[in-house]
Amino acid sequence: MLKPERIIELARQGFAVPAHERIVLANGMTLVVVPRRDVPLVAFQLLLRGGALGDPPGLAGVASLTAGLLDKGAGERDAAAFAESIEGAGGSFSAQAGPESISISGQFLAQDQPRMLELLADALLAPRFAAAEFSRQRLRHVGHIRSLKDSDPSELLPQYGRAVLFGRHPYGQPAGGSEDSLQAITPRDVIEYHRAHIGADRAVLVVAGDLDVAWLKTAVEQRFASWRPAGAPLPQLDPTVKLRRRRVLLVDAPGSAQSYFWLGATGLDRCYRRRAALELVNSLFGGRFTSLLNTELRIRTGLSYGAGSGFTRGRVAGEFAIRSFAETQQTARAIDLTLRTLSRLKREGVTAAMLDSARAYVVGQYPLNLETAADWAAQLAELELYGLNPGYIEGFGPALRKVTLADAQQVIEEAFPSGRQLALVVIGDAARLGARLERYGPVQQIALGAGSFTQH
Amino acid sequence: MNRPGSPLLPRRLSVPAAPGPALAAGHAAVRSLLLDNGLKVIVWTDHSIPSVALHNWVRVGSRNEAPGLTGLAHFFEHMMFNGTARHGAGEFDRLMEAQGGSNNAFTCDDVTVYQDWFPRGALDLVFELEADRIQGLSLAPELIESERGVVYSERLLRVDDNNQGYLSEQVQRAAFIAHPYRFPTIGLPDDIRGWTVQDLRQFYRTFYAPNNQTMVLVGDVSHAEAFALARRYLGGLPRQPDPPRVLVCEPEQLGERRVMVRRPAQMALLQYAYKAPAANDPLAPALNLLLTALVDGNASRLHRLLVEQRMVAQEVTADWHQGFDPSLCWFCFTLAEGIDPHAARDLIDAQLAGIAADGLTDADLHRARNLNAAGFWKQLSTIDGKAHLLGEYEALRGGWRNLFAAPVRHAAVTRQEICAAARLLLNPRRRTVGMLVPEAPRC
Repeated sequence: MLKPERIIELARQGFAVPAHERIVLANGMTLVVVPRRDVPLVAFQLLLRGGALGDPPGLAGVASLTAGLLDKGAGERDAAAFAESIEGAGGSFSAQAGPESISISGQFLAQDQPRMLELLADALLAPRFAAAEFSRQRLRHVGHIRSLKDSDPSELLPQYGRAVLFGRHPYGQPAGGSEDSLQAITPRDVIEYHRAHIGADRAVLVVAGDLDVAWLKTAVEQRFASWRPAGAPLPQLDPTVKLRRRRVLLVDAPGSAQSYFWLGATGLDRCYRRRAALELVNSLFGGRFTSLLNTELRIRTGLSYGAGSGFTRGRVAGEFAIRSFAETQQTARAIDLTLRTLSRLKREGVTAAMLDSARAYVVGQYPLNLETAADWAAQLAELELYGLNPGYIEGFGPALRKVTLADAQQVIEEAFPSGRQLALVVIGDAARLGARLERYGPVQQIALGAGSFTQH
Repeated sequence: MNRPGSPLLPRRLSVPAAPGPALAAGHAAVRSLLLDNGLKVIVWTDHSIPSVALHNWVRVGSRNEAPGLTGLAHFFEHMMFNGTARHGAGEFDRLMEAQGGSNNAFTCDDVTVYQDWFPRGALDLVFELEADRIQGLSLAPELIESERGVVYSERLLRVDDNNQGYLSEQVQRAAFIAHPYRFPTIGLPDDIRGWTVQDLRQFYRTFYAPNNQTMVLVGDVSHAEAFALARRYLGGLPRQPDPPRVLVCEPEQLGERRVMVRRPAQMALLQYAYKAPAANDPLAPALNLLLTALVDGNASRLHRLLVEQRMVAQEVTADWHQGFDPSLCWFCFTLAEGIDPHAARDLIDAQLAGIAADGLTDADLHRARNLNAAGFWKQLSTIDGKAHLLGEYEALRGGWRNLFAAPVRHAAVTRQEICAAARLLLNPRRRTVGMLVPEAPRC
C-alpha cells in the first residue's frame, strides 16, 4: 500500500492549481489566463452556458448544429478560408454542444495567438450560417449517428438510456440530436439559437500556455469588446423525477454478435458534497481494472472484454450508469451478474483495505489527468461553468485523504441505486435474445435503424 | 475501463517542422543504458508532475505468428497480467493500483508494448512487477480459458460488430499473399479457440528475452535511480538466443486487388490499402507530410473535396502502418448516405491520380508542416507522449536519438520529395480496394 506520507505529499503536489488570473470583462464575459511554458503552444477552452438546454421542444440538435457551423464561414472568411487559416498555422479548432453548454476548444502555436483570438471572435460574433453549409452540416450530423450504428453502436447507449431515464426533461434529449429531430431543423432555428443563447454573459474563456498575460488580457478585451449579451435568459431546469419501477428498452440490431448493455439511474448533481467518497467507491465498484464489476464480468468469468461504471453530474441531477457487453447467448448471464454485483455492494459495502487502495489509486492517477495546458484550460473552464472555484480541485486531495468507511457507506446508500430503480438498455439481436429480457421488467422495443432514440 | 489490445489499423506519427529550445533541452535530459543481457533502458527525467510513465517495448507482434496461431502475440499480452510463480492471478493489478498506479498494453503487427503510469513512490514495486512477469509467468490453464473468452469478446466488438473493422480485416488478408502482415492481430476465431499452453510457453521462451525488449521511463525519476533499479531487477535475467528473424518478403504486387463485402449497414465504406515502405525508409518524412496534407483537418485535400465540396463522404482517414517491413498505407472513406461506392471510387481515383502526377501545392506543404509540428509538440507535452515517441524511435526508427533529429529532417522536405513519395505510394497496381455495400438488415 502507498504509505500515508506519500499520499499526503501527492495530494499536495498533484492537486496544485497553477497560478492564473481571472477577470470579468465589461461585457460580462469571464476570462481566465494561465501562463505555462513547457512547449510553444497555447490552448483555449471557451464554454457557453446553455448548450442543448436551449434546443426548442422537438428540435434536439439545434445547439449542436449551431456549434458545428460556427467555423463554417465567419467574418471575412468562408468555410474553406476559415479552415485554411486555422490549419495553415498548425492550429486546431473544434466546437460541440453538450447537455448544458457549448464547448469550443483549440490549440495554436504560441506565435499565432493574434490569429487564434481573431478566429475565435469571428466564429462567435460573426458566423455566416450559409444555407449550403447548413445542409452539409446537417447531413454530416445525421451521417455521424448512422455510422456509429454501423461500426460502434455501444457509443449510442447513453442517448437511449437518458431518454428512458429522463423522458421529456431536457436531460432526456440527445444533445447531438437524433436522425429525425435533425431533419426537422431549419437554418432559421440555428440563427435564432445564436441570437438567443450565444452571448458574452454566457461565456467563460480560459487561455493556457506559452503566453504573455498582460498582452492576452488586452487582446481579448479588444477582440470581444462589441460582444453583446445573449438575447434570451439562461434556460432554467426543473428537477428530475426518479423512475418508480424498472424499465427495459431493447434496441434491435439484427445480426449483432454481442449485446451491448447500459444500466442507469437518476443520480447526483455537480454540487454533491461527498464527491471524494463517491469517487473512491465508484473506483472500487466500476472505475478501475480490479473493480468489482470488471472482476466479475471480465477477470473471473471471461464473459466480456470489459465492464465499468460512472457518475455524470449536471446542474440539477445526473446519471449513474454501468456499461458492458457479452455474446448474445450470454446476455442474461452478464446482466444478472451485474445486478448481483450491485446488490453485493449495497449489502456488504467496502472494507478498510479496499478504501485505502482506492484512495492511493485516485490520488496517484489524478496528476496524469491535469498535465498539459489544454487539460488545465478545460478543467478551469468547467469550474467556472458550475460556479466552483479552484478550491474544488485543491480541496479534493485532502478530502480524499479524510474519507472514512462511514462516508463510503453513506455514499453507497444514497448514491448507488437499488436494482429496482434502474433503466436497462440493450442493443442486440432481438430475434436471438427472444424473451430473455422480460424478467427484468416491461420491455419496449425499437429498431436500431429507427430515426429516434425513443418510441415517442 | 478496458485494456484494449488495439489490433486496429495502426497509427501514424506526427513530426515537427521546426526545432525549438525545448527539444534541445529534452535531448540533454535523456540517457540510455544497455545492460549486459541486452536489455536497453531509456530515461527522460521530467519533474513537471510527480508521476512516471514506464513503457516496455517487446519486439514481437502478429508479424511473428504462423497460420493456425494467429492472434497469439495479442493473447499473450493479455496473459502477462494473469499471475506468476511469485504473484498469484490478479496480484499485478491489485498491487499496482494499491500504490496509485494504472496500466495498459497494446499489440500490433510489429511490437507489443506494456505501459504503467504511477506516482514516483511506486517505482520500486513497478520494477519488481515488470521483472517478475518477464521471467516467471504461470500460464495457468483455467486463466487461459477465461482469457480466451475476453479476447473473443474483444474480437466480436472490433470485427464482427464493426463494419470498418470487418472490411479492413478482409482487405488486409487480400493485400498480402506471403508476408505475415496478412494476419489480423486480434486472431482468427478458430485460432483464438485453439491455442494451447504449450504454444504460449514456446512463445514466451522465444520472444520475451531481455535482449528483445526496451524499457522507457519518463517522468519524476533521475537517470541514476532508474538505472540502479534496472540493474537490480533486470540485470540478472539471462541473455537468450535472438528470436528467429522474419525472412518472408512479400512479392511485388502487379495489379489491383478487390474485395467486396455485403453486410447490413446504413453507410457504404471504401478502403484503399496501398503497399507502403517500412518505418525507417528515407521517404518517411515526405510520406508523413503527404498524408497530413491529404486528410488531416477540414482544409486537407481529400476532406475538402469529398466531404465539403462534393459531399460524397462522411469521413476520410489515412493510416500508414509503419513497421519493420514494408506494409500498407490505408485510406478509409465512410461514404455519405445514398452515394454509389463505384462513383465515389472514380472521383477519388481521379483526385489521387492528379496528386501522384503533380504533387502538392506550396500551401498544402506549409499547412502539413505546421500541423505536424503542432502535433509533435502536443505529444511531447505529456510524459506518456514522450515515452511513446522514445520507444517508437528506438524500436522502429533506428534509435531514440533520431527523435531529436526529426524536426530538421521534416523541415527539409521539399515539394519534389513529396511528389516522389506520392508517385511511389499512389500506384493503383500496388493497392487493394475494399468495398462494403449496404444490405437491408434481415428481419
